[in-house]
Amino acid sequence: MTEQTERQTALQTPSRKKRNNRMWYALVFLVLGFILAFSYRTLGPGSEAQQIQSEADAREETYRAELIEQKERNKQLTEEIASKQKRIAEVEQGLSDSEENHDTLVKEAKSLRLLLGVVPAAGQGVRVSLEDGDYDPAQQNPNDYIVHESQVLTVVNELKIAGAQALSINGQRLNANSSIKCTGPVIAVDGQTFPAPFVIEAVGDVDALNSSLTLKGGVMDTLMLDNIVMTIEKKKEIIMPALREDAQS
Amino acid sequence: MWLPILGLILGVSLGFLSDIQIPQEYGNYLSIAVLAALDTLLGGIRAHLQRVYDDLVFITGFFFNILLAAALAFLGVHLGVDLYLAAIFAFGVRLFQNLAVIRRVLLTKWSEIRKVSETNNS
Repeated sequence: MTEQTERQTALQTPSRKKRNNRMWYALVFLVLGFILAFSYRTLGPGSEAQQIQSEADAREETYRAELIEQKERNKQLTEEIASKQKRIAEVEQGLSDSEENHDTLVKEAKSLRLLLGVVPAAGQGVRVSLEDGDYDPAQQNPNDYIVHESQVLTVVNELKIAGAQALSINGQRLNANSSIKCTGPVIAVDGQTFPAPFVIEAVGDVDALNSSLTLKGGVMDTLMLDNIVMTIEKKKEIIMPALREDAQS
Repeated sequence: MWLPILGLILGVSLGFLSDIQIPQEYGNYLSIAVLAALDTLLGGIRAHLQRVYDDLVFITGFFFNILLAAALAFLGVHLGVDLYLAAIFAFGVRLFQNLAVIRRVLLTKWSEIRKVSETNNS
């Protein structure tokens, strides 16, 4: 370039004009150099603009990566929430199940306690009284018309089968391992002796108890054949005391 | 001849050392200006080789083209039209044409010189 310009300038003959032209060329080249250098510095490789660009790119990249990471994490957390919710539902289900269980257990415990006789029982029921038959001179054997422990036992068993929740004989509460023994003319219930007549009280569904006793060919008929006077009373309310402590021994 | 070289050196150092910052979106103007400057320079060389060179035309053309290109790009940015593409196209085409003309002129000159030297030698 410089050779060219030299030649260009050499063409100009008058010295003043030449000098003037040289100034102009100097200005032109100054501007050219400035523009080239400046544009190289501002726009070229490794320039600030490029750096800013790459920095922005890098930042964008980081943000994108972060975003992806966050999204991933969100997904993970959502899954975790879902699983936790599921678990909560399971626990709740279990809880309600166990509550139901608890309910049934409580009911069972209640009925078992009633059976054991450790709590007083109250409610509708029947009262069965067994009396010895009237003295009959025709009968030689008094055993034929007095109440035997086996008959009491039959009645008690029948009542238990019919769903009696609590039983007592002459006010003596029966529990699951009560004993009914015959001791001559009297009957010992858990060691307590009772003479006839025997009053057996049962708490439970009146109709069921009654009908089980009065079944044809059932307990009542059998006892009638044994000359025993059996009366059944339906009671709206029977209150039975708890098992006495002294009776258990 | 030292004055233009000094000018070039001064310009380059000024360009590298100056602390002027221009926004990114004005980079287009700068590239257009570079293109215009180069085009004018090559045009001047071509004109000189074709012996139709004129100082006034060259110098005014240099600055005027730079300003015109920058103004065009500016207008384009403000109108939303990529007018700087027009400048780039025009200057690019002219650049190549100028280069082609320069090459041809130089080739003819070189072959003439060789012919002359051959005739001298023989």
